[in-house]
Amino acid sequence: MKEKKGSALSCLTDILNKAFFIDFAKGLKVTLGYNMSKIVTLNYPDREKWIPYQRWRGLHTLNRDPDGRELCVACELCSRACPTDCITVIPMEDDTGRGIADRVAKVWEIDLVRCLFCGFCQDACPTTAVRLGREYELACKDWSSTKRDRQQLLEEPEIPETLMGGVYKASFVFNKKEVKVVPDLTKKRKNFW
Amino acid sequence: MSENENIEDREELLSTKKVTISMGPQHPSAHGVLHLILEMQGEKILRAEPDIGYLHRGTEKIAENLLYHQFTPYTDRLDYMSAMSNNMAYVMAVEKALGIEGDIPDRAEYLRVIVAELARCASHLLGIGAWAVDMGALTAFLYCIREREMCLDLFEMISGARMTCSYMRVGGVRYDADQKFFDKVRDFVRILPEKLDEYNKLLTGNRIWIQRNRDIGAISAEDAINFGFTGPNLRASGVPWDIRKDTPYSVYDRFDFDVPVGEKGDCFDRYLLRMAEMRQSLRIIEQALDSMPDGPIAVDIPDVVPPAKDAIYDNMENLIHHFKYVSSGFTVPEGEVYSAIEGPKGILGVYILSDGTEKPYRLKLRVPSFVNLQVMDFLSKETYMADVVAILSSLDPVFGECDK
Repeated sequence: MKEKKGSALSCLTDILNKAFFIDFAKGLKVTLGYNMSKIVTLNYPDREKWIPYQRWRGLHTLNRDPDGRELCVACELCSRACPTDCITVIPMEDDTGRGIADRVAKVWEIDLVRCLFCGFCQDACPTTAVRLGREYELACKDWSSTKRDRQQLLEEPEIPETLMGGVYKASFVFNKKEVKVVPDLTKKRKNFW
Repeated sequence: MSENENIEDREELLSTKKVTISMGPQHPSAHGVLHLILEMQGEKILRAEPDIGYLHRGTEKIAENLLYHQFTPYTDRLDYMSAMSNNMAYVMAVEKALGIEGDIPDRAEYLRVIVAELARCASHLLGIGAWAVDMGALTAFLYCIREREMCLDLFEMISGARMTCSYMRVGGVRYDADQKFFDKVRDFVRILPEKLDEYNKLLTGNRIWIQRNRDIGAISAEDAINFGFTGPNLRASGVPWDIRKDTPYSVYDRFDFDVPVGEKGDCFDRYLLRMAEMRQSLRIIEQALDSMPDGPIAVDIPDVVPPAKDAIYDNMENLIHHFKYVSSGFTVPEGEVYSAIEGPKGILGVYILSDGTEKPYRLKLRVPSFVNLQVMDFLSKETYMADVVAILSSLDPVFGECDK
């Protein structure tokens, strides 16, 4: 932060540095050095995809227990905990013979446009039914896709929960029906650091 | 006669008129959504008036309608370059209102310090990067973003989100960190200084960078204090005011770090200061990692922090506490508190007026970007159009925070 002043020698070196573009040469040395280095960018969406770490708070999922029964008991704590009131839960009596937990969600709907992805619903859920999954490609063209209902959320997530995050090989699907990046969960590569 | 008329006409054409132009809110180098109204004579600025409010969301009003713990995600959206610092400012204010600021477990405090300092690095990296790209140095911007990506990667690992972390909770932190995270942070601490040296080579010695920044937008220490400057901008003017050092909060008094100061308070000093500050942040992170204690990550007061998730599935009492916490929050005693932290952009203060219920009666945020921005007119008077860009970038405002 100190200014160089005084001696004639430093003045001379300053002038020489400027005349021979030493400052630019130093910068160019850095940038040219990177020509030979590893690539840090991700080839997304064409060939690679980033699978987030396990704590990632993305699209919600509603889970089932190992026997395939819904875990949600429609206690409405998630909608109570939500800072933006984006979760609608309407409970109903269950007649599927599930036993003691006879309360299930008739409607469990989330408005993704209002959602902050804070994960408070996941923290609030007393039965681990609500999880924020690792789906993050949520762009859509119409308003109907911004709401997800119970049936959609109950579907098995594409990425299993035990999978570690990282860069995976992927293929880009682009047609009239859908635009998405399908990861190949067996082929992982190291991230740039 | 006719010759004279022609001369007068020509003089009228030659004399430059006062022109008012709008820089932003869509200008590429108007950080975010700033609308600067510039009154100019030729290239000279006569008056610069920031017109803010394009990103106003009524954050303070929203807080009045939410439970205390529900407001944390909204603080992420203030200074979205460093969400962790905002979280920390808010939860510390609520803890002070509750009177439990001394009870926070050490591990939680250390984790908070680590992520807050990482957020400072992330914020300064983007600040310098965006500044460089405004000055035409695209390479430096890309390199800064690459290192910022490491910070965001760490945030993703520990909190589950890259920018809107919501990592802290009243009474502690939400998730514990594992050894993998600490190893990665150590990698980051090792890598970043090398990269800072690279920026030095690219920018600090570069004659274009020096000419665009040295002696531009200089502000004396006295003026800086009078304008309410805080953070790196104030320290660049030579005032060693850093509340991490002067009125230590959290566990900052346990770490050894320096407060770098500038000399002239011009744009170049502000740049050098941010570079120096990142190195000090890394020092703090390293010390925190070395002395990381074991223990709980949140205070053991069931009203404020609900039982751990694993404990509620098989214990009725815990489940009741959990229901109580989620559905009605916790009450804060009547009174008012002000608590401030040293955010990446300056002092970030939170003032809470409580009426004894679960929601704040009034919440006021003292945001550094808003205060720092008022100096635009003072600094850009009698400078040129191109300097305004440098001055604005050197102040490093973020409009999520400024407009609230």
